[in-house]
Amino acid sequence: MTNAPSLNFTPARALPVAAVLLAMAVGILLVALTGVPVGEALGAFADGAWGSPYAIGASVNRAVIFALVGTGFVLADRARLTNVGGEGQIAVGAIAATAVSLYGGVQGLPLGLAFVLPLLAGALAGAAWGALPGLLKARAGTNEVISTLMLSFIGVWLLYWSVQSERLLRQPMSNSGTLPESLEIPSTTRLPFFLGDESMPINIGLPLTVLLGLGAAWLLARSLFGLHLRSVGLNALASRQAGMPIARTVVLAMTLAGALGGLAGAIMLQGDQYALKSGFSSGYGFDGLVVGLLARGSLPGVFAGALLFGFLRSGGINMEMAASVPSALVQVVQGMIILAVAGAALWMDRHGAAR
Amino acid sequence: MSPELSAVFIGSAIRFATPLLLGATGELVSQRAGVLNMSLEGMMLTGAFAGAVGSWATGNPLIGLALGILAVLPVALLQAFLSITLRANQIVTGIGINILALGGTTLAYRELFGSRSSAAIPGLDKWAPPLLRDIPVVGQMVFEQVWLFYLGLAIIAATAFMMRQTALGLALHAAGASPRAVDKSGLSVNGLRYGAVMFSGVMAAIAGCFISIGDIHTFTEGMTSGSGYLAIAAIIFGNWKLGRMLLACLLFGAATALQFFLPTVGVQVPSALLIMLPYLLALLAVAGVIGRQTAPGHLGEAYQRG
Repeated sequence: MTNAPSLNFTPARALPVAAVLLAMAVGILLVALTGVPVGEALGAFADGAWGSPYAIGASVNRAVIFALVGTGFVLADRARLTNVGGEGQIAVGAIAATAVSLYGGVQGLPLGLAFVLPLLAGALAGAAWGALPGLLKARAGTNEVISTLMLSFIGVWLLYWSVQSERLLRQPMSNSGTLPESLEIPSTTRLPFFLGDESMPINIGLPLTVLLGLGAAWLLARSLFGLHLRSVGLNALASRQAGMPIARTVVLAMTLAGALGGLAGAIMLQGDQYALKSGFSSGYGFDGLVVGLLARGSLPGVFAGALLFGFLRSGGINMEMAASVPSALVQVVQGMIILAVAGAALWMDRHGAAR
Repeated sequence: MSPELSAVFIGSAIRFATPLLLGATGELVSQRAGVLNMSLEGMMLTGAFAGAVGSWATGNPLIGLALGILAVLPVALLQAFLSITLRANQIVTGIGINILALGGTTLAYRELFGSRSSAAIPGLDKWAPPLLRDIPVVGQMVFEQVWLFYLGLAIIAATAFMMRQTALGLALHAAGASPRAVDKSGLSVNGLRYGAVMFSGVMAAIAGCFISIGDIHTFTEGMTSGSGYLAIAAIIFGNWKLGRMLLACLLFGAATALQFFLPTVGVQVPSALLIMLPYLLALLAVAGVIGRQTAPGHLGEAYQRG
């Protein structure tokens, strides 16, 4: 068993690609069935996904979110921990980043601290949201799937609550038409653009995410912590007898995964949306989970999957606006990809996919 | 609080609890047999959609109900095939089916109904048991419910009897607690689990139909809005025991009813807190704060011989 990313092309590696292509073919067939000219729909899809510098920027920013959550999923998965909590981690990360940006007194700070501190606050909040299931798993043996799922719902409704209540983050009500959302965050707390401007709004979340991905790859392949993760995942009992710190490894793995999810929430807020509103994330955490799953333990796979889903989502949204094909079509395609890859996992394990 | 208001509140709490009661009962059988069927939400949504379409197309809500159940069967079969035969991760297949169901029903709804969105659809009748219906106030406010609720109570009672008193119930429990022993005794672990997942599919379909053609008489996109997950939370909070789980469903139904009820009597409580409460309670329960949790021993694990 090797965990170093290799580019060997095995049948098992080809399968996720085949699943994606097949699902897309079914998607195109469905477009044809809805009676929209396929060429028109595909044109709208391409426009929205990569048709302009702006579209590319939006797709890449989405991919960054999926890559962060997916990287966290892979870290925890190495210890056979399934982090279903991405959605809640994004929510609490965004809440913390909003609170610090608006009311933390950071807006006048020099050296970029004005946007760095809210990012850190988001990561910290996410870390706490991830640490809790880790602690419960280590102390009480609580199934982390159930606890992270419950914490996801709790996080999402916390976000809803904080934009509904004026005592929390809701903007002051000037009239009855004031929307239930936060004020826009000050310009100094927004993420600077990376290699561009408003016409191609890729923010510094991209280089940050690539750096974190490289860090995670190093952690998994070269560090003592990576070794602990792997052996806890393979055989917790034997690892304990070998004197490895099981509880600490479990808690740390979940904390790191949570921190990446929280950071993703902060980046969404500070790099893209600028104000907190209910329905802020719309399933990005679950998409990130799916990206992590499709990658089957490989971080390059996470980044490839994140880009795929980023472009897929952007294209789907434009297809709805320009060609009036419901973006639910993209959900159908995603669902089929997930089921095909999940169903083929056994077969892929037997045919030597990296794990 | 006046007696009338209390009766209205209890009546609506039962109404909100009904889909949870139905969905959770099927899901409990599946989890007891060892399959954590996370696709409950998607199954309920599929049932709600197919039920609404059937009722709208034929004008007969009974045919809608039958169609709703029929439409969920392939979904349940898919979940069973992936998680039992192919031994896929049950959480992942559940999430996949939920995304597929949400996308598929939304797409099909837009195609079928288009501009006629949220058109009223013929729904199931209400009914109250004899004698009980003659009690003043309470008879109408509390006991007059869609008849599917009473049918559901009968199914739940039959399920409780089956799980506790019959050999089949014992075998289902054992399939989740010690599948190897079941296998050695000559019974088919996977056969039992297939049956349990199919049963949870039928119950989820009835729960979905209750929402669309029982309660609301229309279909809206994603209308189950997390009821499936809430039913799973009720099982966790109920510690995988039928009685406690049913109480949890009623409690969660009451919490939902409170969201609409409290503002009308002038009490201001953040509605998010009430929506969050079930998940918080389930988390506390699974964390061991409320007594010891005893999930089925092999919940979520595929069975493999050898």
